[in-house]
Amino acid sequence: MSRLTYAKIDQTILDTLTPPPRHYWWIVGLLFMGAMVGAACWTYQIFVGIGVGGQNNPVAWGTYLINFVFWVGIAHSGTLISAILHLFRAGWRNPIARAAETMTVFAVCIAGLFPFIHLGRVWQVYYMLPIPTQRLLWPNFLSPLMFDVIAISTYLTVSSLFWYTGMLPDLAAIRDRTTGTRHKIFAVISLGWSGAHEQWRHYTRGYLFFAALATPLVISVHSVVSWDFALGIVPGWHTTIFAPYFVAGAIHSGLAMVLTLMIPLRKLFHYEDIITINVLQNVAKTIVFTGLIVGLAYATEFFIAWYSHNAVEMEQFRWRLFGDYRWGFYFMVLCNTMAPLLFLFKKIRTSIVPLLIISLVVNFGMWWERFVIIVGGVAHGFAPHAWGLYAPSLIEYGIMFGTFCLFFFLFMLFAKHLPSVSMTEMKETVEKGIADHDA
Amino acid sequence: MKRRTFLKVAAMGSLSFVSACSPDSEKKLFSLVTAPEDMVTGSATWYASTCRECPAGCGVLAKNREGRIVKLEGNPLHPVNQGRLCMRGQAALQGIYNPDRLKTPLIKDNGQWRPISFEAAITLLKAKAVTTARKGPDRVRMMTETVGASLMGLFTDSLQSLNSQPPVVFETFAYESLKTANAMVFGVEGLASYHMDRADVLVSFGADFLETWLSPVEYARKFKSMHAIQGNRKNRFYYISPCQALTGANADHWLACKPDSENVIVLGLVKEALDKGKGPDLPATLREFLKATTASYSREIVIDRSGIALQTYNRLIDNLMGARSPLVLGTASVGSGKNDLKTHLAVNLLNLLLDPELRLLDFNDRHRVETAAKRSDIYRFFDSLNAGETDMLLLNNVNPVFNLPAGSRAKEALEKKNLFVVCFSNFMDETAAAADLILPVKLPLESWDEYGAKSSLVSTLQPAMGRLSEAPHLGDIMLKTGLGNKAPAGNYKDYLIASISANSGISDEVQWMQMLQQGGQFDREVAQATRAKMPRVVDLADTLIPPPTPPKTDLTFMALPSIRFFDGRGANKPWLAEIPDPLTRIAWQSPVLMHPATAAAQGFAQEEVVAIQSGFGSIEAPVYVTPLVVPGVLAMSIGQGHRFYGRYAAKTGSNPLQLLSANTNSLSGSTNFCITALTVKKTGQTQKLASTSGSRTQHGRTLALSVSLADLQQNRLPPRDGLTMGNFPLTLPLPEGYDPQRDVFPPHDHDTYRWGMVVDLDKCIGCGACSAACYAENNIGVVGEARILEGREMNWISIERYHDPEAMEKISFLPMMCQHCDNAPCESVCPVYAPHHSKEGLNNQIYNRCIGTRYCVQNCPYKVRRFNWFTWEWPEPMNLQLNPDVTVRSKGVMEKCSFCIQRIKAAHNLAKNEKRLIQDGDVIPACVQTCPTGALVFGSLMDKQSRVRKLVDDPRAYQALGYVNTKPAVIYLKKVVQEI
Amino acid sequence: MTHERHIMGIFQDEDQVVTTVQDLKASPYRFERVNMPIPSHKIMNALNLKKSRVGWFTLCGGIIGFLSGFALAIFTATRWDLIVSGKPIVAIIPFVVVGFEATILFAVFGNVIGLLTQTRLPSSSWLTHYDPRCSGEHFGVLASCALEQLEELKDFFRERGAELKEFNYRPKP
Repeated sequence: MSRLTYAKIDQTILDTLTPPPRHYWWIVGLLFMGAMVGAACWTYQIFVGIGVGGQNNPVAWGTYLINFVFWVGIAHSGTLISAILHLFRAGWRNPIARAAETMTVFAVCIAGLFPFIHLGRVWQVYYMLPIPTQRLLWPNFLSPLMFDVIAISTYLTVSSLFWYTGMLPDLAAIRDRTTGTRHKIFAVISLGWSGAHEQWRHYTRGYLFFAALATPLVISVHSVVSWDFALGIVPGWHTTIFAPYFVAGAIHSGLAMVLTLMIPLRKLFHYEDIITINVLQNVAKTIVFTGLIVGLAYATEFFIAWYSHNAVEMEQFRWRLFGDYRWGFYFMVLCNTMAPLLFLFKKIRTSIVPLLIISLVVNFGMWWERFVIIVGGVAHGFAPHAWGLYAPSLIEYGIMFGTFCLFFFLFMLFAKHLPSVSMTEMKETVEKGIADHDA
Repeated sequence: MKRRTFLKVAAMGSLSFVSACSPDSEKKLFSLVTAPEDMVTGSATWYASTCRECPAGCGVLAKNREGRIVKLEGNPLHPVNQGRLCMRGQAALQGIYNPDRLKTPLIKDNGQWRPISFEAAITLLKAKAVTTARKGPDRVRMMTETVGASLMGLFTDSLQSLNSQPPVVFETFAYESLKTANAMVFGVEGLASYHMDRADVLVSFGADFLETWLSPVEYARKFKSMHAIQGNRKNRFYYISPCQALTGANADHWLACKPDSENVIVLGLVKEALDKGKGPDLPATLREFLKATTASYSREIVIDRSGIALQTYNRLIDNLMGARSPLVLGTASVGSGKNDLKTHLAVNLLNLLLDPELRLLDFNDRHRVETAAKRSDIYRFFDSLNAGETDMLLLNNVNPVFNLPAGSRAKEALEKKNLFVVCFSNFMDETAAAADLILPVKLPLESWDEYGAKSSLVSTLQPAMGRLSEAPHLGDIMLKTGLGNKAPAGNYKDYLIASISANSGISDEVQWMQMLQQGGQFDREVAQATRAKMPRVVDLADTLIPPPTPPKTDLTFMALPSIRFFDGRGANKPWLAEIPDPLTRIAWQSPVLMHPATAAAQGFAQEEVVAIQSGFGSIEAPVYVTPLVVPGVLAMSIGQGHRFYGRYAAKTGSNPLQLLSANTNSLSGSTNFCITALTVKKTGQTQKLASTSGSRTQHGRTLALSVSLADLQQNRLPPRDGLTMGNFPLTLPLPEGYDPQRDVFPPHDHDTYRWGMVVDLDKCIGCGACSAACYAENNIGVVGEARILEGREMNWISIERYHDPEAMEKISFLPMMCQHCDNAPCESVCPVYAPHHSKEGLNNQIYNRCIGTRYCVQNCPYKVRRFNWFTWEWPEPMNLQLNPDVTVRSKGVMEKCSFCIQRIKAAHNLAKNEKRLIQDGDVIPACVQTCPTGALVFGSLMDKQSRVRKLVDDPRAYQALGYVNTKPAVIYLKKVVQEI
Repeated sequence: MTHERHIMGIFQDEDQVVTTVQDLKASPYRFERVNMPIPSHKIMNALNLKKSRVGWFTLCGGIIGFLSGFALAIFTATRWDLIVSGKPIVAIIPFVVVGFEATILFAVFGNVIGLLTQTRLPSSSWLTHYDPRCSGEHFGVLASCALEQLEELKDFFRERGAELKEFNYRPKP
């Protein structure tokens, strides 16, 4: 395997930015149509009423919030990889940091859509913003949902700025290697970066603070998301374990999504020398770890339910195991805790196909985890006379499909128009000689 | 400000407004130049009238706002219902405002309906009647529902002048056996009223007096005044029937006997009574006769034939024989089957033995429904029609085609070529559809009339609203058609006043006005009914002597009277269909009830659609498996399965009456609502049941609690000093309810009032009247079957029923509405303060602030919040019923019980104007107002003297799921159960 | 004497850059700056730069955020004093979340402002006397001198194995 040089790095990455072929635009077009399907479903829902979804009494929260939590979860590993691993100086994060951050930004955007879709009267959503109106009515900052508003918007802002800042030197590099319109565009968005030592002096410092701030943020955001449930008194929601449980789950699903995105990217863009198998391996190892954490969380929930001797809690968890949604529970245990254990075998975690498959399995499992928690809790709550079941409607599936399309639509655009691997950080890696790949 | 000055100012205001606006304004302002003197915009006018939804004839007050009735409430002065109303009474409004109500007369020419004007219709009717009458006697006949004496008199007169006999009064439930039995035993062919309230042991052999039997609201009240716990005493009520039904669910003990075996038990009891030497003063002949006839009814035989348990039978005997003032009631409105008459005879004799003075039966004050014709006469009537003995038939608000089995050939009769059928109906029901001329008439709440539900009273009706259609009053039509120029009065109102003043000694306008105002005359002296000294043995012999038949083994199908639809006349009223059946909790559908054993034996599963075929017809219905019927019985409520009768009735459920035979008992002329010799088989389909209940049992949670009488008497109540579900103390939604040991946050104060409600589960009979009242008062959307299947019902108060997991046939009811908690979990989770705690302790829900995150309902342990998944529709003119004091919610907002905040506000205004505080009882929410048994009490918990505050000290007081420490303001009193 | 001529020496190897920079500092020519594709530690150390002051902006942002977060929550809660779930009007514990998120947000804003002001971006001034190769694999050392020293400076760079990049003279306004 050839040793990486600055020139090679530049070349590999710049090659990905060559004008895309026709079939690329076909795919992008199809994805766009998919997103439009979702948009159409939502429009219909707005005009007819939220009842076109499957939610009911008692289960008033359905796929909209499941997907919200799912995407917020995805969003987390991006920041984790770029910020936390940056603080830990883990060199192997460099090749995937950029793509992961991008995934974060897009995933937060998608996640941010769902609360809007979920609202009964989305046209009144501005009631949640603390803006002085002539009514002088304000939002209720005791509400977990207000925590959400603040946390998610903060997270979106910060992760976008972080992403952009990190990309600045690369933008300059591209500026210097392009001509014509693209040159002009990159000249503008690279803000006149020249890599002068004065700039680097402040830049490195600023980037460090970014990482230092993003780290507690990422923890807090998903804790807040978990409190959407944990602060409710619903059996199955109302547990103190939720914050760490959700954060671990978020990282778990996020890393899986990173694999899901990286492996095709690596193939298509010939990143084999940059995103080495060693990098993927490290991700896989981390997935095993996070998988075990969520596994522990599952077990703890049952233990506490039994330990509490509370009839309501015990019934809730008996039902989770044997009730109408038991399949969801089996899925989540198998996919999130059992499947990743296969990564303990070096053969599996170092071969591409299994990596990809298991990463998909984990994504699937994490979706079901959210289903079991969000739907299961309220479906079998305090009042037996109000017990009921929920199944998503076509409209909900349509919206879900649309948002997935939207995400990949955005990612496709990014991959072909912005450096999907950070040249600068790669060069640093080479300089430090950390990028001595799986020798 | 004086009204005059106000009008001046208003006029000026409006002038300036007009001049300020562009002349071609889209919105026009209308103001009443001269308003009717009893109508003040924005404030209600109440008109006393009478409910005619069933023959019970309760007194109502119609709340009129801007010329339309928006709510019905019971008339407190009326002796029958004393201010209360049942579900059907509340829903009467939906008859008036029904979107399928016919607006013009329709005439059928060659099978097609053609609208014509009222004038044309009446002229046609009159001409036809006169010409037909000339053909000879009885060429013009009439069939009517039970009506008041005056209208009956008018019918009779005009039919007489049309050379015909008086009308036939048709009621589906005509109590033939009871009347006959009364005639045979007491020499009075009529329906006595019962002083149930004075009984200490009450035994009913199926009489469903909480649902349809005679006068449900009256007897519900009397039953609870006898059966609810008083101090430490509680009287006993046995219900003996193959199907439990709502009345049975309220019994201390339900003796599930085999179908039509009631008579065996009663005769057994007669034997026991004789053995105990009861009724010593009865003539020896009678005693001997009874001894002889009942000799074979040993306990063994009774047990064997009826299938009840020996112990319970023994205890029943001991209780009944030991009772101070026992009362035994007969069978249901639908009877018990072939032996119905036998049962009634035996019951009457038993009453006679146990209490020779019959203190609890009142033959002077009789139920008007006794005027209904025997079923046999009804059949005879239709035979005569089929025989072509009549050319013209007038039908007043009856639906024989639906209510009679096919064997009656009623439909054929009406469809005969040479019979001209005039149907005075407001709806295209099955009968109207078979008529030749449909002539809509004013409905009771729109008309002048009179109805004496019982002999001791006459209850007036007056138009309580503006006209919706040009429909005339039936009385006026009859005056014109029948009497023509010989008419004693120009219009029916005058005729009515004349006849009332004749019968009720009203001499002048003032008395008339007083009578109207209080809704009638309630203290009429009645002629003493002449009772036969003693029953004559010869009458009884034929019926009583035949020995008990061995119990049937094959399946029996029973058609049950419905608390919701009565005999089917309520089926087109969406509230009645939407409010689920009290026992099955199923709305919009009529499943067939069967015991788990029966289902297992037949291989049927819940929700499986079965086809039931009898010798006379067949129906299909989904199975509902329940322990509330004995094995071997299939039971279904009457009321649904209409082919016509408007959008809400047509094609919902199925009509059990189609299975029945048209045979009648030779002696009593009663029909049989049970049928055997069935073939029941699967159809292969299943129908999802529109059930509003999740689980039948409460999984050991502190929701619907009961306490045994013994524990209560000896004060053996569980300690209330812990933090677990079982022993959590009562934490009032007041500062005193807070304790640093339990509460993180300090208590908060309220401003003068802290509204709360006490629900006495020992009084709640689960009838659902409160729910109907709530729908009417609070503009709650009706969602329909499909939405209920999706779990989207909107009821603010629902009567949840819970089976006892140890004995599934034991039921307790739990009225569940917003608990207005002091620490309401729903409040803090809302991002926009839509739900929050008011300064008087209410849990406010601000509709136009709500954005629909739905977190509040997720977090509500009681799941009483309702979300508007869509914008619900009130098809014209249903919208006229909407209460102008309450917002109509649109899609995307959460709603829930507000404790009728509009009524609280009204009380505030009143108190303010009178410069005083709100007194206990000033605020009466709709549910509390209508509860027939007074199970609900509302008031301020901060007022030490208020009834709610006093009731809270009751040892039975508890809070639903109190251990969650939400501090609900709805305090429940445990149901008191007693071991028999 | 005016330094109006700029020369940039383009290097491949960091160590050369380090030595060049040190020599240059000792020389009469004025050392302007080094342009580099990465924040090369060797070079940065050789230049022994002062610590950046970006952090102060970040800190201020953080403090402002923390205060304004709590202020917002408390202010809005006290407008109507609505009781929810029996909790106090000003409930500090839940407001911590608001305060925390605001802290992070404003700290990041401060950080960004710090970056922009300190690095004097966006501006095109950095791109005068700049060579595109410096964002690729090369390091450019920019020096300036008076017209008469120009040749010496070129030799200076040549001796240290640099490719030369000469910028044609633009008189200062």
